[in-house]
Amino acid sequence: MIPSRARRQPAGLILLPAFVAILLAGCGSAATPAPTPVGPSPTAVMAPPATGAPISATPAASPSAAPAVTYPLTIRDNEGTAVTITARPTKIVSLTPATTEILFAVGAGPRVVGVTDADDYPPAVKQITQVVKLGAIDIEKIVGLGADLVIAGGNGFNSPDSIAKLRSLGIPVIVVYASDVAGVLADIGLVAQAVGEAAAGQALDASLHAQVDAVVAAVAAAGAPRPRVFYELDATKEIYTFADGIEQDDLIRMAGGDPITTGSPTVFSIPLEKLLVADPQLILLGDAAYGTTPAQVKVRPGWAVMTAVKTGAIRPIDDTLVSRPGPRFVEALRALAIAINPTLVLPSAPPATAVP
Amino acid sequence: MTTPIAELAGVTVAYRDRLVVRGVDLAIAPGERVALVGPNGAGKSTLLRVLAGLVVPRDGRVTLGGDPVASLSRSAIARRLAAVPGQGTLPFATRVEEVVALGRLPHEDPFRGPGPADRAAVDAAIERVGIASLHERDARELSLGERQLVLIALAVAQAAPLMVLDEPTVHLDLRHQVAVMELLADLNRRDGVAVLAVLHDLALAAHFFPRLVLLDGGRVVADGPPSRVLSPERVRATFGVDPAFLARPASGDAIAADLTVGTGGR
Amino acid sequence: MSIAGRSLALARAHVGRPARAPGTAALALAGVGVLAVVVVLAVATGSVAVAPADTLGILLRAIGVPVARTWSPAAETIVLELRLPRVLTAIMVGGGLAVAGAAFQGLLRNPLADPYVLGTASGAALGAAIAVLIPIRAAFLDLGLLHVLSFAGALAAVAVVYRLGRGGGPFAPLTGLLLTGYAVSSLLAAGLAMTMFLAGSNLRQIFAFLLGGLEGSSWLRLAFAAPLIAGGSIAIAARARVLNGLLLGEEAAAHLGVEVRRERAILMALASLVTAASVAVAGLVGFIGLVAPHLVRLVVGPDARRVLPLAAILGAILLVLADLGARLLGEIPVGVVTAVVGAPFFLALLRGTRSAYEL
Repeated sequence: MIPSRARRQPAGLILLPAFVAILLAGCGSAATPAPTPVGPSPTAVMAPPATGAPISATPAASPSAAPAVTYPLTIRDNEGTAVTITARPTKIVSLTPATTEILFAVGAGPRVVGVTDADDYPPAVKQITQVVKLGAIDIEKIVGLGADLVIAGGNGFNSPDSIAKLRSLGIPVIVVYASDVAGVLADIGLVAQAVGEAAAGQALDASLHAQVDAVVAAVAAAGAPRPRVFYELDATKEIYTFADGIEQDDLIRMAGGDPITTGSPTVFSIPLEKLLVADPQLILLGDAAYGTTPAQVKVRPGWAVMTAVKTGAIRPIDDTLVSRPGPRFVEALRALAIAINPTLVLPSAPPATAVP
Repeated sequence: MTTPIAELAGVTVAYRDRLVVRGVDLAIAPGERVALVGPNGAGKSTLLRVLAGLVVPRDGRVTLGGDPVASLSRSAIARRLAAVPGQGTLPFATRVEEVVALGRLPHEDPFRGPGPADRAAVDAAIERVGIASLHERDARELSLGERQLVLIALAVAQAAPLMVLDEPTVHLDLRHQVAVMELLADLNRRDGVAVLAVLHDLALAAHFFPRLVLLDGGRVVADGPPSRVLSPERVRATFGVDPAFLARPASGDAIAADLTVGTGGR
Repeated sequence: MSIAGRSLALARAHVGRPARAPGTAALALAGVGVLAVVVVLAVATGSVAVAPADTLGILLRAIGVPVARTWSPAAETIVLELRLPRVLTAIMVGGGLAVAGAAFQGLLRNPLADPYVLGTASGAALGAAIAVLIPIRAAFLDLGLLHVLSFAGALAAVAVVYRLGRGGGPFAPLTGLLLTGYAVSSLLAAGLAMTMFLAGSNLRQIFAFLLGGLEGSSWLRLAFAAPLIAGGSIAIAARARVLNGLLLGEEAAAHLGVEVRRERAILMALASLVTAASVAVAGLVGFIGLVAPHLVRLVVGPDARRVLPLAAILGAILLVLADLGARLLGEIPVGVVTAVVGAPFFLALLRGTRSAYEL
């Protein structure tokens, strides 16, 4: 997952002398390959297709064949940890906005007792106790709520220390992390199974599969050329976009674009020189919500040479959905597909699944 | 012959192949008052450090109270030799009585800390040196002269039979120089503390010390009463200065009169 | 008789302390009393409300007093597994840092020294940052790679500084040590910057360590840290007279019977060990090691025999309170609280103190 939306933590620190500025400037373009990110790959891995091949060819990931879930249940989460859930969870805590959405989408909403301060969908979550504030997990509150299952985000999204602490107190914690669309779908299945809604999970999975396939088919049918897409997360100081091998790269590919990424799986910034060499044909402004407009982009020093700026192919997009690897990713996929090819005609989306 | 309170016999000290002290014989009897004089670099300070066991000589024997220094622990040395510390910096606000109390470190019980005997010794030392009015003041705020007295009080509290000082009158004004000298003479005469002081001021040394040891180039070139050690030939040979310079200060009687205040060197 | 005695009947400028400061034992008792109150307060407070009577009951029951159970298992878990180890860790770390800080101030004869002065902080930070980059997920005694490497990094840094600093070049040995500490710290900080740059999305973890925090406290971690911190601190306190002897300098100390070289090495090793263990379990918590000894000296003077135990108690109180504040303010890093409170306080302290440091 991408770093939190709060303005990227400044590198300046208590301890650091001006070395930082010098090092970052000097080492920017010669970024040595970073070590592999924390956390192994999700349960069902599929290499992101070079073209947006329909993914229904891959069997929908389902950890158990039987639709009914029996307890006690031992599940392997995305980090490979075997988590044992002794009984059907009745007090579920979600530590990421995406997992909250998943829980509600599979029908476990009434059993959710703890969410984060960044959760906003469905609207009902606003009434639920917040156990995460500005990224800090309040373990005391989670224990106080009597939680019997916690769903957390991997790859450093939630503090591994806190996750370990919760586990040491006997609370099962399932860590999910999806690096591509197939991974998101697998996570939906995993969470559904953990909370005992395997049937709802599979139904949702099938529906999402179908929607994704529909979009991919429409994109293929339109036969439009595949533009190089630069998805801007932030460019106030450094330029931030998606790292390599994360789910959003997959989304853009499926939506008919060729994403320009940072070149490293853990680094989210890209130097301007690299971007200029990559020469995007389309710039999507994920930071439009923060006031960035195409007009501003056009006057940025050095940017005028990019194809996208020359042709004026700079479009705002709602980043909230794109950045959230939850069940509404298909909406993001649709939005991306249209942003990449405004003339694209998509089959209408099915009505949103009724949220209890 | 009573055991000397400190003795150096045939001591040679080398510092990276350079001989700093050559074959020095020096014995100090209990209760003696001796000044060590000589040009810069003669090895005076080194001799003090050899006595205190801080420098190991390449040759020769060093004893304190008859026992070889090499066989004594630092604490044992501290009980036989009290070296008045040089003027240093104090990192924290420290009362005079706390500075003087440091002199009791070699005597305190390592576990229980200072006892009533130690506290009494500190108070006595402060009284003895005459700085009772200063005892609660921050030592960092005192004048150089006052501080020197405090450091001497520390050595007094240490209650060792030999007190050693390295240039105690440097930077002091004349009044305080004399005060320090008189105090040392008094401690020596009334309390029987042996005193060994390195002095650069020949006039002071001659006036206040009955025995002078003249060091030059690491060797003892003269040892005896001031009139003999600081004879005109000696002074000319060692210091390269006209001895008349010493005997007749430019401003005449006024200074000479001041220098004779007190009992003088006896 | 002497001129000095006659001429110095000036207005007495007392060192700003009360003339007869209360005895160490009395102060220590009072300090422990305050600490006890603060501990109960801290254990009784948190984001989940546990009635004070229940808190007391849980604590009593835990030590074997037969009390009827009137609380939920969740409350018991919160008090015994979350809050209590955390508060006890705060006591350990706060006390340890204060003692280490006092030791370094005495050893280096520098009132601005703190436990991190010889590179411990930079070494620990670099160790922690490297650990974050390595995707190994092992844990021993609730200590992950991060804690192990930060501990090792802290000790390694001091060892390097000590080795390099002994030459010191043309400077006095202590100055050489301080300068080497600064140089090594800067070098390590550069390494840290590079590691943070490479960390990408794991940056937050490194930050959390750098800003200090007790969230991960547990009984197991306490079992690791407590013997090192407590043992090291007691060993340092036993050497209080060495610190006193050093007040006038290393040569004066030798003349007063202190085996300077050996004692200096021992004290530095002990203080570094205490600091490294503290940093491993709590990250970088600043100001307590610097300010607590000074506050204590304001009342009892520079005698290390009094300063060390009292500073330990004060340091413990300060960190428990800071951690309480951090928790109530929404789990902000405790290092931020100590800095925000400590820095202005320290400035006030400096202005209140009378004379300059140097003579």
